[in-house]
Amino acid sequence: MARRRTQGCRVTTPINVRDLVPGTSIVLASGAEAEIVDNPRDGVWLFARYLSSPRDPALVGHEEMVFAQDVVALGRSAPHVDS
Amino acid sequence: MAEQDPRVERLLLGQEIADFLYREAELLDERRYREWLDLLADDIRYWMPMRRNVKSGEDEREFTRPNSDINWFDEGKDTLAKRVKQIETGIHWAEEPRSRLSHLVTNVQVQAANPSVAAPQEVAVTCRFLIYRNRVETETDILVGRREDSLRRHGAGWLLARRKIILDQNVLLSKNLTFFI
Amino acid sequence: MAITERRGYRPGLVDLRSGEISREIFVNEEIYAQEQERVFARAWLHVGHESQIPEPGDYFVSSMGEESVILCRDRSGRIHVFLNSCRHRGMKVCRYDEGSTTVFTCPYHGWSYGTDGRLVGVPYWREAYHSRLEKEKWGLVEVAQICNYKGSIWATWDPAAPPFAEYLGDFTRYLDLQLDGWDGREGQAEMLGGVQKWLVPCNWKFPAENFSGDTYHNISHRSVDLAGIGPSGASRRDMGERDVSRKLHVCIPDRGHQTIHYVLPAGQLPPPAYLNAPIVAEYFRYCEEEKRRRRGDEARMVGAPGEIFPNTALLSRQPRTMAAWHPRGPHQTECWRWFFVDRDAPREVKEFLRDYYIRYSGPAGMTEQDDMENWNYAHAASRGTIARRYPYNYDQGSGTAVTDYEYQGFRVPGEVINLTEVQSSEQPMRNFYRRWAEFMEADDWSQLATWRVAERRAAE
Repeated sequence: MARRRTQGCRVTTPINVRDLVPGTSIVLASGAEAEIVDNPRDGVWLFARYLSSPRDPALVGHEEMVFAQDVVALGRSAPHVDS
Repeated sequence: MAEQDPRVERLLLGQEIADFLYREAELLDERRYREWLDLLADDIRYWMPMRRNVKSGEDEREFTRPNSDINWFDEGKDTLAKRVKQIETGIHWAEEPRSRLSHLVTNVQVQAANPSVAAPQEVAVTCRFLIYRNRVETETDILVGRREDSLRRHGAGWLLARRKIILDQNVLLSKNLTFFI
Repeated sequence: MAITERRGYRPGLVDLRSGEISREIFVNEEIYAQEQERVFARAWLHVGHESQIPEPGDYFVSSMGEESVILCRDRSGRIHVFLNSCRHRGMKVCRYDEGSTTVFTCPYHGWSYGTDGRLVGVPYWREAYHSRLEKEKWGLVEVAQICNYKGSIWATWDPAAPPFAEYLGDFTRYLDLQLDGWDGREGQAEMLGGVQKWLVPCNWKFPAENFSGDTYHNISHRSVDLAGIGPSGASRRDMGERDVSRKLHVCIPDRGHQTIHYVLPAGQLPPPAYLNAPIVAEYFRYCEEEKRRRRGDEARMVGAPGEIFPNTALLSRQPRTMAAWHPRGPHQTECWRWFFVDRDAPREVKEFLRDYYIRYSGPAGMTEQDDMENWNYAHAASRGTIARRYPYNYDQGSGTAVTDYEYQGFRVPGEVINLTEVQSSEQPMRNFYRRWAEFMEADDWSQLATWRVAERRAAE
């Protein structure tokens, strides 16, 4: 899978979250960035911890399930991608 | 003897193996089971695993394993001969009246020839099959899948030494498997 | 002849006084729909074996009645059985047969459930549901009761059903024969990999009544006996212990469970078996002695085909299997078969038995093939308007069963028929259909637990 970064323009092609490994950083539609802590590999959900959240700073450090369609890009500390 | 073009050798071997498979299918469909048994090596392993729905990437669990798991078939010549004997009793109700069968064998590909294509003693061959079974009045089964065979040179001909049958079904859609595949 | 309209179930279709049972109960679509509600939604059903889900997160997709269920072990190790259907729009949340997972995610709109069944993921829960959807109310539908009996997992949708042990009643000992080690140790059964699943065009009650203990259909299997596939190279099985034993039908009348059963004479071990396979012969000789030492007189019990009401078949000798007959419409049954060996048996023994199981059982099994032909065409020939007017005959041995049966000091519970003397009876089928009719007629478990009614009366 191609590596995508947030620098420059945002990539619009969808990301297959099934293949992302824990530790990967992801950028969400809200502009928040989170780190994957677990991947059920269902292609729909990720368990992730917020690293930054400009819109709602209280979320930082919080863990929650992230919906695949909310993942718009891989983050700065990316990208561990399964071969 | 003049050396042959290796492409011709491959072509001849492919045709010879395909002929063997067609003849074997014909014996089964013509219910000449004793002659069919004669095509089997004494140490034949006839294996048909069951297939599971597994997550992509977990392919190693898709098939039941030979020798340890339960399979549709996993047996040698002795048991195959008993199946023939059972059909021949004339009172094996699942095959009495007999089924009408056609084995269509296609996509025949010789995968390996040992020690060489020019003088093969063992051949690995794969094919696809479509088996049409019709019995009594309207009962009909269609089985489609792949076979991975190993053939062994026997005099001027060949013996079937190993057969793996991969059926493209999960729940078996036929009520029984009273026939050879 | 007056035209009678076809209706659903009504008392009288199962008439045990005359030994007649209407064909309607096999082929009538309305009765089929009723029995999904009245039988399968209320009875205890077999779901699988715990060895199929050894680790947290492991799951096996099974079936209860017509419906797909997920047998799984949650993160804390607890075993659950869930309806395999998303609460949002019903899509199957698992379409794999087995595996390991942290969540069951619906591929339709993305609702996701933990292995404990809780709804954990709802796309746009904050935005689209305004954080108001109460996730705790919308977890996977879980069975009302679950029981792990010596590794076999059972479940029921009915919270009012009695506990599984009470549901089994005096039949427990026959399930024990299935699940205990041959040497008499408790719960030593290990499942071989792979569950056979196949479709048979017949009503589910054909295999259910056959496995209840049909001793009359041996002629169906004449061809395999002639071919000789038995573990000693002859016949279709070892006949040794059967030949020396007292052969019985045992029926537990208020539960609807029944079985064929062999009892060895007092003080006698089974005759040597598997003589052409010395390691196997030695293993079973050792086990029989151990079992005698551990269990005493109980070791005289030898298992045979039996049925736990409604749709679980036992076969506690070789081939040692359990089966479930899943209804798939009135005219089709999906048969599932699990195979067992002793966990601690030597590899050679397991392999030997496995080979025998495969050539005996299931759609490629030389024995069962003929059964399925019979069920198929018995069903097909019973569907017609004229055929339905003529009931089947279940009168064989009516009124001859005895209670308090004893054979050389060994007491046998329930209603018993001595088959060594009479060759065959249809007591097990009468027992099965009597219970089936009770399920079809009773409003709830307060009526179905007939033994409790009797106990209450006795106390008053």
